[in-house]
Amino acid sequence: MKMAPSTDQHARVIPGGFTVLSLRFSEDDSHAALHQLCVKEHRVRAESNANRPLDRTLFVLNVPPYCTESVMTDVFSRFGPVQSVELSEKPGASAASDSGVSSYFTSRRRQCFRVAYIVFKHASGVKAAKRHPVNTPLIISSTDRPVRTGIRKWIQQYSDSLIKASSLQQDVDQFMNNYDKQKEKEAERQKQEAEQQQEDEEGWVKVTKSSRGVKVRPHSETANERTLQKEKRKKERKELLNFYTWQHRNTQKEHIAELRKKFEEDKQRIAVLRAQRKFRPY
Amino acid sequence: MKKKRNESTETVTEDQMEVIANSQNEEENEKKSAKRSKDSKRKAKDTVSDDGVLRPVKLSKKELFKAPTVEELSQLKEAENLFHCSILKMQMEELLKEVALSEHRKKLVGSFVQQVTDYLQCVPESEVVELDDISWLSGVEIPFLLVPSTAKGKFHMEPPASINLVGSYPLGTCIKPKVSVDLAVTIPASVLHPMDAINQRYSRKRALYLAGLARHLSFAKFVGSLHYSCLHGNRLRPILLLKPPGNDSSKVTLRIHAIPPPDFLKPSRFHPLKNNIRTEWFTGVANTQQESSEPPTPHYNGTVLGDHLPLSHLQFLSAISAQCPAFGEGVALLKVWLRQRELDQGAGCFCGFHASMLMAYLLSTHKVGKTMSPYQLLRNALHFFASTDLTENGITLAKNPDSKAPSLPEFHAAFSVVFVDPSGHLNLLADMTAFTYKQIQHEASLSLTFWDDPTVDGFQALLMTPKSMLRTYDNVFKLVNLVKLQTSCKKLLLLNELMDHSGNYVLAALPFILSLLQQGLGERIHLLAHSLPQDPEWPLDSAPPKHKDQPPLSIGLLLNLEHALSVLERGPAADNPKAAEFRQLWGSRSKLRRFQDGAITEAVLWTRNSISQKRFIILKIIIHLLELHADIPKSCVIFVGGQLDIVIRRGIENHTTGEEESLEVVQSYDDLSKKLWQLKDLPLSITSVQGAHQALRYTQVFPPVPVRLDYSFFDKKKNHLGLVPKEDKPCPCYIAPIKVIVHMEGSGKWPSEPMAIRHVKAAFHICLRELLCKQHNYRCHATPGYLDVWKDGLVFRIQVAYHREPQILRESLTPEGMLIYRDNAEAQALELETLHKPFLTSTLHGLQQQYGCFGVVCRLAKRWLASQFLLEYIREEAADLLVASLFLHPAPFTPPSSPQVGFLRFLHLLSTFDWKNNPLIVNLNGKLTAAEQTDIKNDFVASRESLPTMFIVTPNDKKVSVWTKEAPSVQMLQHAVMLAAESLRVLETQLDSGEKQDMRVAFRPPLEAYDVLIHLDSKQVPLLAKAVDPPANTFQRGTEAEQPYASGGALPVIDYDPVRLYLSELREAFGDLALFFYDPYGGTVIAVLWKPAAFEPKPFKTSLMNARRVEVNDDVATTVPNVEAILQDFRITGEGLVKRLDLRTEKWVV
Repeated sequence: MKMAPSTDQHARVIPGGFTVLSLRFSEDDSHAALHQLCVKEHRVRAESNANRPLDRTLFVLNVPPYCTESVMTDVFSRFGPVQSVELSEKPGASAASDSGVSSYFTSRRRQCFRVAYIVFKHASGVKAAKRHPVNTPLIISSTDRPVRTGIRKWIQQYSDSLIKASSLQQDVDQFMNNYDKQKEKEAERQKQEAEQQQEDEEGWVKVTKSSRGVKVRPHSETANERTLQKEKRKKERKELLNFYTWQHRNTQKEHIAELRKKFEEDKQRIAVLRAQRKFRPY
Repeated sequence: MKKKRNESTETVTEDQMEVIANSQNEEENEKKSAKRSKDSKRKAKDTVSDDGVLRPVKLSKKELFKAPTVEELSQLKEAENLFHCSILKMQMEELLKEVALSEHRKKLVGSFVQQVTDYLQCVPESEVVELDDISWLSGVEIPFLLVPSTAKGKFHMEPPASINLVGSYPLGTCIKPKVSVDLAVTIPASVLHPMDAINQRYSRKRALYLAGLARHLSFAKFVGSLHYSCLHGNRLRPILLLKPPGNDSSKVTLRIHAIPPPDFLKPSRFHPLKNNIRTEWFTGVANTQQESSEPPTPHYNGTVLGDHLPLSHLQFLSAISAQCPAFGEGVALLKVWLRQRELDQGAGCFCGFHASMLMAYLLSTHKVGKTMSPYQLLRNALHFFASTDLTENGITLAKNPDSKAPSLPEFHAAFSVVFVDPSGHLNLLADMTAFTYKQIQHEASLSLTFWDDPTVDGFQALLMTPKSMLRTYDNVFKLVNLVKLQTSCKKLLLLNELMDHSGNYVLAALPFILSLLQQGLGERIHLLAHSLPQDPEWPLDSAPPKHKDQPPLSIGLLLNLEHALSVLERGPAADNPKAAEFRQLWGSRSKLRRFQDGAITEAVLWTRNSISQKRFIILKIIIHLLELHADIPKSCVIFVGGQLDIVIRRGIENHTTGEEESLEVVQSYDDLSKKLWQLKDLPLSITSVQGAHQALRYTQVFPPVPVRLDYSFFDKKKNHLGLVPKEDKPCPCYIAPIKVIVHMEGSGKWPSEPMAIRHVKAAFHICLRELLCKQHNYRCHATPGYLDVWKDGLVFRIQVAYHREPQILRESLTPEGMLIYRDNAEAQALELETLHKPFLTSTLHGLQQQYGCFGVVCRLAKRWLASQFLLEYIREEAADLLVASLFLHPAPFTPPSSPQVGFLRFLHLLSTFDWKNNPLIVNLNGKLTAAEQTDIKNDFVASRESLPTMFIVTPNDKKVSVWTKEAPSVQMLQHAVMLAAESLRVLETQLDSGEKQDMRVAFRPPLEAYDVLIHLDSKQVPLLAKAVDPPANTFQRGTEAEQPYASGGALPVIDYDPVRLYLSELREAFGDLALFFYDPYGGTVIAVLWKPAAFEPKPFKTSLMNARRVEVNDDVATTVPNVEAILQDFRITGEGLVKRLDLRTEKWVV
């Protein structure tokens, strides 16, 4: 492994503009191998996400699975106060977060390597990070802020998975109340629209732009198919079979053709088996 | 053994590396080279794909609709009418081509026979000596056991009167692979004497003459090897085996028989009721009895008489075969059929000669037509076997026997199976036991049923699959140390039989021992079959092997599971006259017992506790009977079966193999299900309660065992939520949650959005929790996904399901407002859990009721898969289905009735099934019709590429193969196939050798192939005690040995297995770089294999940086995996669990 010489106190920048930082799990094992984080200021042509301000966001590659948001905040605080950390499996726009759903119902996060978007409070944090020399590794787990892994972590996880039924019930109730309210609103709206379509006293109907969605039930794909098939069957029933001589002849021809096809298929199968020496009985 | 295993695994290693390295390329290259070589051999037809994969046939319209010729029409018609399809006909033709002798081979045989004949004509004459004097045979032993040693008569050598080809070769029924050509050398009449018929004098002269020929031939240069042997295990009929020298030695074996002149002795002297061996001479004790009271010697008579007839038999068969053009091919097929069933060799066999004679009988009695095809001949022959019992109604080929010929009843009195030759004097099947004939009948009727079933590949089942003893019979016993049979002859008073068989005590005692066992086992078995004692072969300069030197005799049993495990043998009532007979059979074991219905009867009781022990009752019976009646000690009987029980045994101290535990789980589940149905105050009613766990279909390798907890071992979480493992203690015992799916009724109240449905389900879990708690005092734990119930020391995991949910997950609206359904992974996963799993569980539960040992076979199979690290790649459900197919489609066998035979067949299936070209159809409940199965096969061929490697079809899953969709991959399947073949080989040789050996060998995975081994701290492996080789030191895991509570108590630690958590983290983090292998049942090693493709340097990309490091060369940044950091991560992620890493760095460079 080619390591940077120890005298080099400069940041290591690779083609592509990324600065390489090294990462160590804990202070104790100074001989241990290091992971390499690649960092760069976050820069995309059109950033729609307000949570990633272009000048203050650091884009980090290759974040090990045991680094959670809080760990990253701790580690990167040495470059300046950190406002927020966002971890995701792939670089790119952040997935729409499930708002309004309690933590019990969000799916578990995969324990894989991720990328991070670290938003500093000041733009200087980004620059400091990019200037950090490669041979001074960042430390993940320190004595005052240990990171739990292995057995201790799993026991903690198990303990956390035991939840009180009442708090779960509370969350469910809250969600269902919201849901019901939403449904009610929806129904109300539909009712209003339906009312608008009714004739008024003078016999006028108001035609609005949004009338397309008024249909009470959306027509479905299966229903479409069903009607198509029904028509096809009707057509078939009307047709006469084996009525004309040519029809009769054709059926016979087709029968022979089918036998032939089967024969050819069988021949092929045999050839394959022969090639595999499947006819040696012993 | 260990060493052998190592060698073989090394080859596995290399193959595997290659496979994983560049399997695709490798395969293609191979195919290409194969193709090239084939092309040069024969012009490959363009329609045939040469890579061994079936492709859909495409014929142009013109080709399909051209006018047919008459010939083609008749061919197509024949194929349509006679066979299920034309493929069977073509298969038969191919097979016949494969076994027929080539012209080249015939030429070789012709010249070799000519050389030998010419050479034998000039055997030098020798002086007349006494029969006892064998000093003139310098250097060559006489191929005869001289017991008793003295015999009267004189002997001298003289050139043979004539030398003729006899048997299958001149008849044209000789087939590969063991081509043997029979040469009959007629002894000149001057050497023999009319009184030679008695006291083995003729037989000894015959042996001496053969020895003379052998001595002469040993000087010949054109002879490759010379051995003695004997015909069909009959020591009175030695033969000489000649092979050509050099490379041709394997191509033909010449068998030289010495025979007397055809009319030398009158056949009437060998009437089966006449005596030709005098007791006085045989025993050496002066006999005071009259000659007329001497016992008959039918077998000896048949032997001598048989030597007179080969030429006339050949004449007879040639005449018959000339009438029927398909005779030769028909006999050839029958011979293949017999050979696959190991019926064509040894003492009492049904050999090729008998097959020809049978075909001649069928032709001469017009049971088959002269114009029939070979296929029809075979079918009719099998039909004849199945419908005719030659042990009761013998048949004869003699048209008009002379007045002195014995009648059929006389033959029946002397022999157990009767088939009389054209002369009317000889019983062709004299040596066959009634049991062998019953075996033939059984095989024939089984074959016919397979043939009539359009869904079974009859060709494969009948003619291509070898049915070895171990794989065919549920239980196999071996009689070793055959010398003990001598004492049993004494005990059974078999002097006359011993005389008749000229001292061969094995053959003499065999029928009696077999019928004794049949009597004792009675209803417990369907069939009792035995291996045929094989013909020994020995060199010229050594004495013939003794009778006791034979290989062990195997006895195979097909069990009738209804009765086989019963502990009680109930006999007749005490006052019944048959009671004495019963007492005589069972000896002191039989006791008078009073039963609940008031009857007092004789009965034998075998005390056994567990089901696995009950399987040994048959062994007990056999040992008891043999010891009591035949003086065969226990040490002579070796039982093949039950040796594999150790790997699925519950613990070292208990002897149960988990069947009882499974039952207990099912009972507890039934109780829970009843209580769920009866719950009051549920907002919606329950429409179904279904089990969805392997334990509920009896196929969980180690079924959950009720436990009682030692609370001090755990931490307690506040609010009485449950117990939590302590950090400093060993991992607590693993409590597997048993999944139960509860469907709630449909109602308008169910919301129509996925998220809302999940919340409603969570609400149901909470509701069920409260009701179960209140009404039955069960401790429960509700989560959004499931509800855990702590009951009877077991944990049931109830999951509420709503039948429309998968459908709702698939729904989406198009911009036009149309409702469309699109399949997605989430919906599929849900359907798998709530639909497929419960259905499979209930179906297989039914299968277990039908076939008693289905569950055990499944568990053995899965134990093997797990131990070879395959269970994570071949899903448990897929493995269950594989085993189910053994029971539902057993052809050519019967459904297995013992764990061991089922397991062997599982390995055989896995190692030989052609996954590339065939779907495995598991016709559960027989729901698929033949037409549907054909459709499935056609669809499969049409879209092979897009389907999973291992394609398993069930009636509910015809298109997708849900259980094998994700895994295994091609490479993994190939790996599994290789491991299965190797394990099968190792196991069968061990079981066959009859000695006590370590059966666990097949359950130890080869570790040489892997790059990194992660050794785990056994303290933290919860299933440690279930390992294939359980360690001596065990840990206290928070359980008490007392009876568990039915309800109440703190909630235990459920489904907490650190190793599984560790593995899933490893796979999530490093799944792109490496494969991880583990035995989930107590393994202490995780084996890691790097993916070679991931190790090549790749250009730097933001999407490809995970766990890699950057190197810059000439302003180009490339990345490679950061191996050292990854290894460090293995340690960090598994802190407290990982003991050490074992790096095999010689395989890869950092």
